[in-house]
Amino acid sequence: MRDAPVARGKDLSERALGTLLLLPAGLLLAVIVVYPIATLFWGSLHSVDNANPAAGDQFVGFENYLRAFEDDRFWHSLAQTVVYVVVTVPGALVIGLGLALLANRPFRVKWPVRLGLLLPWALPLVFAGLIFRWFFEYQTGVVNDWLGRLGIAPLNWLSDPTLATIAICIAIMWKASSFMALMLLAGLQTIPKSLYEAAEVDGATAWQQFVEITLPMLRPAIFVALTFRTITAIQTFDIPYAMTGGGPGDATETLAMYIHKTTLDFLDFGYGSALAALMFVFSMVATSGYLKYTRRNAGRNGG
Amino acid sequence: MKVAKIVITTAIALSLAVPAWAQQTTLRIFTGGQQRPDVMRKIADEYQKKNPNVKVEVEVGGATSEAQQQYLSTVLSAKDPVLDVILIDVIRPAQWAAQGWAEPLDSYLGADKAKLLPTYLKAYAEANQVNGKLVALPYFADAQFLYYRKDLLEKYKQPVPKTWDEMMETAKIITDGEKNPQLQGFSTAGAPIEGTVCTYLVPLWGAGSDMTKDGKLNLDTPEARQPFQLYGRMKQAGVLPKNVAEIPTDRIRVDFQAGNVVFAQNWGYFWNRVENDADTKVKGKVGVTILPHDKGGKSATCIGGWQLAVSAFSKNKAEAVKFARWLSSPEVSKMQAIMASHLPVFPSVYKDPEVLKANPWFADALPVVETAKSRPVSAQYPQVSDAIRSNMNAYLAGTKTTDVALNDMKNRLKPLYK
Amino acid sequence: MNFDRRSVVWLSAIVVAVNGFFPAVWILLTSLKTETELIRSPITYLPDAPTVGNYVTAFTAQPILRFMWNSLVVAGLSTALCVLVGALAAYALTRLRMPYRNLIMSALLAVAMFPLISLMVPLFKAMRELGLLNTYLALILPYAVLSLPVCTLVMAAFFQDIPPDLEAAAMVDGCSRVGALFRVVMPLSAPGVFTAAILAFVNAWDEFLLALTMMNRVNMRTLSVGITLYQGEFAFPWPLISAALIIAIVPICILIAVFQERVVGGLTSGGVKG
Repeated sequence: MRDAPVARGKDLSERALGTLLLLPAGLLLAVIVVYPIATLFWGSLHSVDNANPAAGDQFVGFENYLRAFEDDRFWHSLAQTVVYVVVTVPGALVIGLGLALLANRPFRVKWPVRLGLLLPWALPLVFAGLIFRWFFEYQTGVVNDWLGRLGIAPLNWLSDPTLATIAICIAIMWKASSFMALMLLAGLQTIPKSLYEAAEVDGATAWQQFVEITLPMLRPAIFVALTFRTITAIQTFDIPYAMTGGGPGDATETLAMYIHKTTLDFLDFGYGSALAALMFVFSMVATSGYLKYTRRNAGRNGG
Repeated sequence: MKVAKIVITTAIALSLAVPAWAQQTTLRIFTGGQQRPDVMRKIADEYQKKNPNVKVEVEVGGATSEAQQQYLSTVLSAKDPVLDVILIDVIRPAQWAAQGWAEPLDSYLGADKAKLLPTYLKAYAEANQVNGKLVALPYFADAQFLYYRKDLLEKYKQPVPKTWDEMMETAKIITDGEKNPQLQGFSTAGAPIEGTVCTYLVPLWGAGSDMTKDGKLNLDTPEARQPFQLYGRMKQAGVLPKNVAEIPTDRIRVDFQAGNVVFAQNWGYFWNRVENDADTKVKGKVGVTILPHDKGGKSATCIGGWQLAVSAFSKNKAEAVKFARWLSSPEVSKMQAIMASHLPVFPSVYKDPEVLKANPWFADALPVVETAKSRPVSAQYPQVSDAIRSNMNAYLAGTKTTDVALNDMKNRLKPLYK
Repeated sequence: MNFDRRSVVWLSAIVVAVNGFFPAVWILLTSLKTETELIRSPITYLPDAPTVGNYVTAFTAQPILRFMWNSLVVAGLSTALCVLVGALAAYALTRLRMPYRNLIMSALLAVAMFPLISLMVPLFKAMRELGLLNTYLALILPYAVLSLPVCTLVMAAFFQDIPPDLEAAAMVDGCSRVGALFRVVMPLSAPGVFTAAILAFVNAWDEFLLALTMMNRVNMRTLSVGITLYQGEFAFPWPLISAALIIAIVPICILIAVFQERVVGGLTSGGVKG
């Protein structure tokens, strides 16, 4: 990290200034999330016998975590979550990048394109789920209608585990690619045209320009987008919830849905908290790769 | 002297004003968006007229049982005293009693309890008593009915079916005869929602069995397989819609209203909509009767409806109980029947001429409602419900066979019925 | 050659627009239909007899304008707070030599890794103890926090690419460091700042769970909760809810249309790098 040419004596006040600047953020976080997160971890070490809740909370140590490891439903929902992450994170990146590149062209009237880019993401998540549920409906869904026009028999999208997973992935990617496009478009705009012009003069093809100019310059934006997209993907809840309710059976249930059901429906706060803690661990592991990248990158830029 | 007079007069005036002001209680009642909060408001206004020292605020929550549970779980887990009376689904009293959210009403009712309970429909008196304690009072009733197309049955000269097999045959005859690819023989809830629990239980009860016996799980019987086998037969005969596993409750109504269903299993709200909606295609063609049973069994229907619980954290419990008792009276039941077409919880109200004038079909509804049975009463009902509906849904979607579905269901239910 | 370029441009525009608009168009068409029209098979796209009845009901059945105002206040103020706090934090993380810099960034990310549902009860209790329930702050503060990680890191990514010489120049002219932040760094990374702002705003606008729990008085409810109140226990009146959705999306569309120039840049093309 490059520093402005500043006298050494100012180092201490730099740290003080930095701390001061970080204080508002720290304060907000402490009040709003640190206390609930601490409660969450503490709660995961307790359990309530739901057949007799009046007996109260009991300290059970790591019993809830052991229970999770033996819980088939936990593993299945985790596996399903991994499927969604592995498919929709790269998928949304590729589609989002494509959309951003398309939207970056010099249009005469810009706003319809930009609006079209951002609209999927502006639609409330829960309604996006319901709309896609409707699209994939057996009798009156748009998808089966078009399949019919192409001469294909209607598919029972939401009643078949594989088809339902595909449908859900499509819905998630539609929404998430808009988020990616938003991040990447801003990044694209900071790439100076002069670089492309110079490359043209040197005879580089469009593909070469893409690989050697666009991608490297977009790296920070891609990194941020991927990190947050991954974290959000691990917490996938609204879309499968609206589309299939976890069905058929529990086939499309994600970890977040299982946590929701455990905490809110079954009122099993201890176990639900343990599952949430496990989800946190999983998120940390999944994004650790990206974090290593930042450290490397920061080192390269001199700071 | 003058000063003394003034002081005394003021003191008297204050002493008269203060009690009236100090006794003003504000009660807050929580209702979901679907339980006709507008009617509740009118009823609350009546109460305020009769009890001038009470002010009633109606808080309208989310429309689905789910959304309400989200809000209420958070608020009650935090022991918040903001709500005094809460309208809860008939499946909740056991869970609420166990969680300590509902104030037991026995001590408030005293000797009245023994007189009051027999006046209700039997199933409600049962559903609201948990371990001998009265946890809530019934507000309005609901049950599942078999709705059918009178006109189509007449056209094909079919009698109203009494058994499942009869219904299947009739449905087949009609759909074969009508040759309409959109016409469904029988539609019921199949999506992984609460209603699907009834989809499993109703045929089980109709076969003369029940899920529990003497408090223990009772699913090792041959009858436990029958609901799955019944729907399997219906699927093969083409009577069930192909996408039954994604059908939620209201979809059935929309399809029926458009003329695309012969037999439908649904709740009480159905009647008004399919008869009176502006765009209905089946006005005057709708019949309602009790759900079928198996040969040698007896018809039973699934109970529904909403109950009044008093929050254990309320700061005005005595007043809240008084309010809840009034809300759960024949007088208010009649008001609801006329203003909102809510099914009454008192058999006597069904026969009231004014009520029948507003809802002529209540005469047919009463015998059905009287056979209503409770879904399993358990402090862990959500887990029970989840086990049943998830497996019923999987079976209907074709991802599990009868054996697997029943086994999975049993495995999930066993720990809950230790 | 020119002709090819133009048609490619047009094609791109159509692809992006269609991808974004088709559900919105679907919702719009649905909002003009009646319920039985929706379940026809084969389905029809255009309404038989377009009706604005749904919009009338949407406005009269609930105080939707009040909901919109509440959403606007909450989303607007939380966005401002989030961007401000995030900018300060991003500056500290990228410009100043701070110990534990990576730890702080990881902590920021970690905060986003917990599902909201698991934090609801303690959060509700905290808001209740602070006496903030049913006030705007009960949502403004959590929303600012929810978007803080993403806003901070997005702005940090943009700040990083701006050479410090420009700030040094400003400081030589007598500007403080914070002044340099607001007068030099932020304007130059405007696309990043506006992206962060739009992210925070839409997150707040669409949020449901917190809005449902913290505000139980009707006149304080936000739009995202208000729309679901049209739903019934069993019924989901698509035409009515579609009308409500259109009403809810319109402000966002206006916002995006107005700010998209800023988001996508156009302030300094190429003057920053190279």
